[in-house]
Amino acid sequence: MSGSRALVTSAGTPAPRRRASSRRLGGRFTGLLFVAPAAALFAVFGVYTIVYGFSLSFARWNGFSPNWTWTGIQNYLDLLGANPPLATSVRVASQNTLVVMVVLPIAVSAIGLVLAVLLNSIRRFRALLRTVYFLPYVTTGIAVFYAWRFVYEPNGSLNAILSGLGLTSLVQRDGFLGNPFTSLAAVLFVLIWANVPIAMLLYLTGLQTIPESVVEAARVDGASTFRTLRSVILPLLNPITALVIIIQLREALQNFQVFLLMTNGGPVDSTQVLSLRTYQLAFDQASDLGYASALGWMLAAVAIVLAVINLRILRSRQ
Amino acid sequence: MTTIKTRRARPRKRFASRVAAVLAIAAFALYAVLSVYPFLTMVSGSLKTNTEVLTNPWPIPINPTFDTLVDTWNALDFPTLLVNSLIIAGLSCLLILIIFPLAGYAFAVLDFPFKRVLFAIFVGALFVPGVTVLLPIVILDQQLGLLGTPWAVVLPIVNGAAPIAIILLRAYFSSIPYELHEAAVLDGCSPFGIYWRVYFPLSRSALITVTVLNFVAAWIEYVLPALTNDDPSRYPLPVGLQALLSSNVVQWNQVMAASLLIVVPIIVLFVVLQRYFINGLQGSVKG
Repeated sequence: MSGSRALVTSAGTPAPRRRASSRRLGGRFTGLLFVAPAAALFAVFGVYTIVYGFSLSFARWNGFSPNWTWTGIQNYLDLLGANPPLATSVRVASQNTLVVMVVLPIAVSAIGLVLAVLLNSIRRFRALLRTVYFLPYVTTGIAVFYAWRFVYEPNGSLNAILSGLGLTSLVQRDGFLGNPFTSLAAVLFVLIWANVPIAMLLYLTGLQTIPESVVEAARVDGASTFRTLRSVILPLLNPITALVIIIQLREALQNFQVFLLMTNGGPVDSTQVLSLRTYQLAFDQASDLGYASALGWMLAAVAIVLAVINLRILRSRQ
Repeated sequence: MTTIKTRRARPRKRFASRVAAVLAIAAFALYAVLSVYPFLTMVSGSLKTNTEVLTNPWPIPINPTFDTLVDTWNALDFPTLLVNSLIIAGLSCLLILIIFPLAGYAFAVLDFPFKRVLFAIFVGALFVPGVTVLLPIVILDQQLGLLGTPWAVVLPIVNGAAPIAIILLRAYFSSIPYELHEAAVLDGCSPFGIYWRVYFPLSRSALITVTVLNFVAAWIEYVLPALTNDDPSRYPLPVGLQALLSSNVVQWNQVMAASLLIVVPIIVLFVVLQRYFINGLQGSVKG
């Protein structure tokens, strides 16, 4: 072993390095063989579908006729304003999506951080609580969405709890998903609930990598617990926060299943979001599939731009 | 001066910290209840009769009954749904465990042409929304003649798992000391031998993490099977559950019973494997 290490460390001269690397690799193209199965699958279900969908966004197609009618960027123009009824529904969906994009990352990172700090400061029940807090993340999906729907029903347990607490003014007669003023908040709550665990786990990981001596030093200097948290621990967790935000922005833009299964956009478009609108254009009112593709790619553009910005910020900080 | 200050501050501080501790415990407990609340709702709903579920919103049933669970089991043809779900989730996990550790190993350890470009493409795929390519995927399933088969769901799920599986496994393989690799090379091991005898067995927690994440994702996948399959005998659990809710009069006790039957296997899987699962997730962030 020490011999092989010497071989690598003394690789200042070209000859031994080449010998070491050829041994290491077992041929220059071996790596490609290892990647080939993943790449082949991606070529079919990734590249092909991306190219197909992107092309379709520049065409009209009802899904049945043998040919597409090329229309250039007309689909995009229609969605942005040239087709008023369509553009209006897109604008409403954009506004709701924006609300989700602002509220979800803030709420999830705040709650996740608090839970992680609390968990990190206790010894007893830590493992048990971590399991309990993490459950929403692994079980999220149709079954849990239906359970929340039941809780929000007119005769569900949320109304019962509110009236039991004497908060009768907050009771929703049509249920929390039936009232356009509470429906978005109700779905958002479920989305936050489902996403807090992963933020908590990431923050907990980050907290465990902070050396105790750093926290100890702040305490010796007379910093209060809150001050230590704000001025010492939080800045050290910046990379984690950036990661949490990028994951939550992705979730805000992409997760349409929670909206599809809880409200399907209603009542009166109060929970309509861009990803759900894309789904509906493709599968519910499938009159023109070009619109669905164009809207999907507008969504993708936003997602990619945000990801690039986020990565830039993350990199410039490090 | 300083001594006086601390002495004066101490009693108030102790009181404040005690209040803070009580508040913290209350917040802990409240969030714990909130975390399991949907499951409590499922359990209580599935123990109520059809009339009680409409009249008694409180979690504890007045006349608990197992009839609802039995009725739901029979009404849904639960064994068929279960087998279909197991086929979809099992095939997905098997393929994922064959394909992506190989790729992760190559990206972490080997050196080859286009390595950086290929890795960037796999990671970049993470930011193409699933809904954007959903329509082309369903059309592709149709063109390949996969509609109605489990493969129409399995292949897109496996492909969709690529970015996170590759990122996680690459990070984990990179954290394995390179000396092990060199020792295996000196012992005359081939690249595949090194992967199969050294890296694969050492990566148990990362492999379990990827498996659990994707088993759960496949288990609860509703949209793909609903779009690619109209034969009830081939429905997986989520589509069966959805059919229950789309009937005219929603019987919430049955919906909760079916939801419970879907979620219980996931909870058991998670609790049994969580030690590896959480370590694997955390390891990939640290690395």
